[in-house]
Amino acid sequence: MLIDCDIHVGYESLLDLVPYLDGPTREHVLHAGSNGLAMPSYPWYHPTGWIRKDAYDAAATASGRQIPGQTLPTLQRLLLDPFDVTYGILTPDEAAAFSIYPNAQLAARLATAYNDWLAERWLQEDARLRGLVVVAAQHPEAAADEIRRRASDDRFVGVFLPGGARAPYGNVIYDPIWRAAAEHGLPVVVHTHFDGVGLSSPVTAAGHPDTYAEYHVLCGSGMYGHFVSTVYSGVFERYPDARMVMSEGGVVPFLGYLWRLDTDWKACRSEIPHCRRLPSEYVWDHVRFTTQPLETPEDPSDLWPIIRHLRPERTLLFASDYPHWDFDEPTHTLRLLPAEIRDAVAYRNAGELFRLGAPVPL
Amino acid sequence: MSTIGSDRELRLAASALPPAGEIRMVELGRHRIGLFRVGDEVHALADRCPHRGAPLCSAGDVVTGIERRPDGRLELGPAGALVRCPWHKWDFDIASGECVVEPRLRVRRYPVRHDGDDVVVSLDGGLDRP
Repeated sequence: MLIDCDIHVGYESLLDLVPYLDGPTREHVLHAGSNGLAMPSYPWYHPTGWIRKDAYDAAATASGRQIPGQTLPTLQRLLLDPFDVTYGILTPDEAAAFSIYPNAQLAARLATAYNDWLAERWLQEDARLRGLVVVAAQHPEAAADEIRRRASDDRFVGVFLPGGARAPYGNVIYDPIWRAAAEHGLPVVVHTHFDGVGLSSPVTAAGHPDTYAEYHVLCGSGMYGHFVSTVYSGVFERYPDARMVMSEGGVVPFLGYLWRLDTDWKACRSEIPHCRRLPSEYVWDHVRFTTQPLETPEDPSDLWPIIRHLRPERTLLFASDYPHWDFDEPTHTLRLLPAEIRDAVAYRNAGELFRLGAPVPL
Repeated sequence: MSTIGSDRELRLAASALPPAGEIRMVELGRHRIGLFRVGDEVHALADRCPHRGAPLCSAGDVVTGIERRPDGRLELGPAGALVRCPWHKWDFDIASGECVVEPRLRVRRYPVRHDGDDVVVSLDGGLDRP
């Protein structure tokens, strides 16, 4: 079995969501700009291409779009079938930008439309696919409503939040999201995306990087901010049933932050009384990490002695990041891990977290 | 194009060869091979990236390297001398098969000889052992 916790799908254009929009929003989306509404995007372009070149064809980019939409047959041919994926959890491409779009009310309506699109165009079409509820994080009450709206549809197995944000996700303004997610047992997947775009701050306190190359090395920074924020602010103390996934932030940096969380807590805990326990205890109980992009030291055997301290037999979830350029091929990733934990990383940890049972046909 | 002699060689007429900057795929037995023309030379590479097994030739791109001169100016390398992997975008020198960013990796090359106006790609007399 294999559960891939990060497979990106996206629409060709925001206009693809028009059939799923209410009348007033449809009217606005169709007539905005010179060619319909579009979302803010990165200030850098990937110098050699964001997407695996075999995951799209010339027709998909004929319109000039930078991020070509994906198709189910291609996903099946390149990933689901050859790697015998039992479940694939779908993460958004451009729709992740709804959370960093300034117009919060519009963003909430777009998120609802996207989830309807996802259910009809993807989740309904292949029994192996599962979705994350995309919400407008900058409108927490609407986001909570959207989570509750999807909670009874077991094809949605979690909530998606991008790394780019107005404030770290441990801030109390986000409590409605954590409350709704915890009520319904939906893990919140915080995924590197749109850090430094729209409402979000620059990807580091050093300011905006000059190049995509710099940005990509640093792009987990938003996630590290959310990681520290949620633990220290007491999210998991206030919502004991809440669980969080750090997706596409790599693995090694989290270990350093974990040790610093514990060390600094010992001196600073009077400032953060809601973090009642040693921070790492919350991490073991409430936080999981996806494997991609897995760090690649010069000597591959140097990896395990480091990441073993993150208790990967419990915390690590396989992710490919298909169809992006830094896609991690499943057999390679799992081969880097000791044999005794491969099943846990390949499917058991994700199966338990996302409550995925034995697959059933459509 | 046609196969002449054994199943270990493929003969191609000049008209079947790719122009510079393009890749033409052929099959020889179970081998999928990409044909390239760099300058006046024809090269044949395996359709498998040695990094993670991506379809290097059938989905890759012929590109030209960008280099920085010691005086700080940028210049282009030899035209169309590199093939870029479609997955992780690593570049390989078409003539040598060497990975530009990871010298320990080399894509398999197949011998190419000229026979009159034709080109013959062979599985034997290998430039690189599999």
